[in-house]
Amino acid sequence: MEPTLMILILVLVVIGGLLASLGAHLLPVGGAPAAMGTATGIATGTVQIMLGAVMTGLFTASSVATLTNNLALVALSGAIGATIMISVVMLMANILYAFGCGVVPVSGRVPVDPITKEPQTPYKTPQTDGHGVPNVVFVSGMLGGFSGGLGGALMYYALLNYAHFSPNTAGIGAMSIFVPNAIIAAYNIRGTIEGFHDPKFKRLPFSLATSFVVSLLCGIVVVIAASVLGGVA
Amino acid sequence: MTVTPAAVEEEAPAEKKLDFSFPPGETELGIIAGIISAVVVTLAALPAVIKGAALIFAILWGMDSVRKTSKYGLGTGVPSIGVLAIGYGVIGTLMGLALAEYGRAGQFYPGVLVGVLVMGGIGLISGIMSNHEKLVAMKIPHLERAMMELGMTGTLIILLECSIVTGSLNFGAVLEDVIETGVIALMFIFSAFAIFHPYNACLGPDERRERTRMVAVEIGGLICILLGFAQIVIGTSPYGILDGVSLVVFGAVIWIVFFRMFIRACFKEAYATVGTGLIKTLG
Repeated sequence: MEPTLMILILVLVVIGGLLASLGAHLLPVGGAPAAMGTATGIATGTVQIMLGAVMTGLFTASSVATLTNNLALVALSGAIGATIMISVVMLMANILYAFGCGVVPVSGRVPVDPITKEPQTPYKTPQTDGHGVPNVVFVSGMLGGFSGGLGGALMYYALLNYAHFSPNTAGIGAMSIFVPNAIIAAYNIRGTIEGFHDPKFKRLPFSLATSFVVSLLCGIVVVIAASVLGGVA
Repeated sequence: MTVTPAAVEEEAPAEKKLDFSFPPGETELGIIAGIISAVVVTLAALPAVIKGAALIFAILWGMDSVRKTSKYGLGTGVPSIGVLAIGYGVIGTLMGLALAEYGRAGQFYPGVLVGVLVMGGIGLISGIMSNHEKLVAMKIPHLERAMMELGMTGTLIILLECSIVTGSLNFGAVLEDVIETGVIALMFIFSAFAIFHPYNACLGPDERRERTRMVAVEIGGLICILLGFAQIVIGTSPYGILDGVSLVVFGAVIWIVFFRMFIRACFKEAYATVGTGLIKTLG
């Protein structure tokens, strides 16, 4: 395999890993407290949310990749797929919280919404950490889905067109590199986060450093596999 | 977020002792399971039943690693670390299969073990970075070792499953029978379940390693049934249909035996649980 292609694969896989890490920090992860309506976010862990988003992204990216070889189109279609998926989940979560639990979407980490300037604290139930998916968290979640989907689609594109894997191998490979990055980011935020306005978001550089190393090593493994196989995968 | 209790008492009282006590410690189990599954994975010509037995050992090892990490509380729930192991496993499998032709003699593939070792190294590095105080700072004792073991066991599990379904470790055969047919997706999620589900289901103040291990073996049996059906449908085994049928029977027997054992153990130990009554203010 040509050195240029190897470097391209490595660069795209590392960028994908970093975007996965960033995406996990931007998503509204509520965990078990959110399942009881006592914390802001979607009521499950980072892994499930991120995996769901990126798999949708990979479906849209792989559909577009059958039609074109344009990197930007494939990557953006992956990002849009993941964004739509995460937006639908957040919308449904809000409907369930508002009409099922009878709580208003409200952030527990900031007194005033940084985007719309709406007051948050007066609407928050005492002793809880917020409810549902308020505006700022929704915007942050959309950015997170976009970032995660973009990362997954970039890895998919690199494995498909530069490492010459078959679409299925590229898909499962991209997902497998994406998963450790998203999970290490999840460990960095200790389970729950609201989005870019959360104080935990300041821990992002630590996660990015770890993701850089992990995705670089995984990229090297993929490059070795691809150059040994020489296009039969 | 799942909050797990701190260190669980390792030694059960004498009257709770069950007959299922093989193999002894975590390190011994790791060595035994690692050697058995590494030897079996290189010998692709073995019957599926032997590979299935090695697969159960590898699952036991992975479950033990998940258990010793998760009992300190990961913050993101037990499933995350199981999925991480299988994510590493699939990458390691790609590398192992790519290098399988090197040093190959007939149906003996020592080259695949390079993938296992490399993923052990990557797991170790990610464990060191996750536990480092200036980076992610998870502060979990022995996380480095557990992540290294998870990388290795994940790769061994996926390699063994590919070997069961295709009957060889040739990349072209695996590509055609496992990846292009979509069986890899089943393998991905069911292997992750096999690793994380036992501890996720059994965790709590009364969690005992021996009882948790029964669930791991039981899920190993279920995976054997699934892989047996996959092998019968794809029909690539050198031993004909008998290979897949014997794997299904083996998996069913394992599942029934260990499921009964697990339920009995639960009944026995639940009977011994002391009731604490209602909270004083309510009673």
